[in-house]
Amino acid sequence: MGTVRMGEIEVSAQKGEELVARGLGSCIGLALIDRLSGVAGLAHIVLPESASPSDPDSGVAKFADRAVPELISQMEDAGAVVRRLDAVLAGGARMFEVGEMDIGARNAAAVEAGLARSGVSVRAADTGGNRGRTMRLTVGEFKVKVKEAGGQTTTLFDACTTNSSKGAR
Amino acid sequence: MTPRYTELQLDALRELANVASGNAATSLSQMLGREIGLSMPRVLALPLADAVDACGSPDDDITGVVIPLQGDIQGVVVLLISPEGADALCRLLGVEAHTEIGESALREIGNVLGTSCLNALASMTGLDLEPSPPHLTNDMLGAIVSSLALAQTASTDLVLVLDSELEVAGEPCAISFLLLPTDGGVADLLKPLGLAETTAL
Repeated sequence: MGTVRMGEIEVSAQKGEELVARGLGSCIGLALIDRLSGVAGLAHIVLPESASPSDPDSGVAKFADRAVPELISQMEDAGAVVRRLDAVLAGGARMFEVGEMDIGARNAAAVEAGLARSGVSVRAADTGGNRGRTMRLTVGEFKVKVKEAGGQTTTLFDACTTNSSKGAR
Repeated sequence: MTPRYTELQLDALRELANVASGNAATSLSQMLGREIGLSMPRVLALPLADAVDACGSPDDDITGVVIPLQGDIQGVVVLLISPEGADALCRLLGVEAHTEIGESALREIGNVLGTSCLNALASMTGLDLEPSPPHLTNDMLGAIVSSLALAQTASTDLVLVLDSELEVAGEPCAISFLLLPTDGGVADLLKPLGLAETTAL
């Protein structure tokens, strides 16, 4: 089981492996899935964009503007194909009214913009609100589960059911 | 640019945290009528992910009482209280946990601890420091700490956390007491001590 910490990316094709982003607050967990090649990846994204270009590669995966292309490129290296990717998002909460900027909403918008630029569709998203979340992605089954703080675990995305609905088209 | 801190600066911050949390422990002890054990504060100057991990497991359920700072320094004081700890504190104060009154009692503990901590910092540094009304949240540790830290600092490469553990004698109650200053707030704390220079890398 792989914990994906803040600013980290994990890509796996190992059936049954679980990738987990724990305690997402304003951060975004971005799961990408290519069912055909069996490759899945998870990024734990912290901020919408890199603060300054003088931060050459201190945590490419930290910032949405760089993490999205980086995750896609690592998925491709592992054998995934961009046009087959399904994206699932969770997190981006506004935990406190303390700061005036809503980092969570900006993170979600930046991740969605990055995905759109690469032509990847968002299949399911559980973002916003004011609760923390833990996101789990099981490689092979391609299920994405989300647990909200103090709540139950729910299945946000299940590749099998999505598959069958696609097949019916 | 990411600020780095010298050993001398970290020692000074640790000493500030030590006196501030000592003061907070005394107030808590008076409030609860119990002895309070106090750990030597840790001064964590770490990348954000490591700083969160150092506070505990990111998906642990926890009660956070957040006290935003007003005055000369920007930042927040945070109490992290485990579910058992919150129950014990409410019991000692004679109120029921997980009720509005219970939450209000925990906010009041935050208020008292935050105020005594700030008074200590103010008298050591000559700064004007005042607490804002506390917010209470029951959520995941990682979500609370990371979101607060991100609201305080532009840099995720280095976050400064002053962490003390308060233990209520005879109760399964440990409170993590964190001070998260903004980048500028750290410099403002160090300036009156004549240690303002940070070496930028």
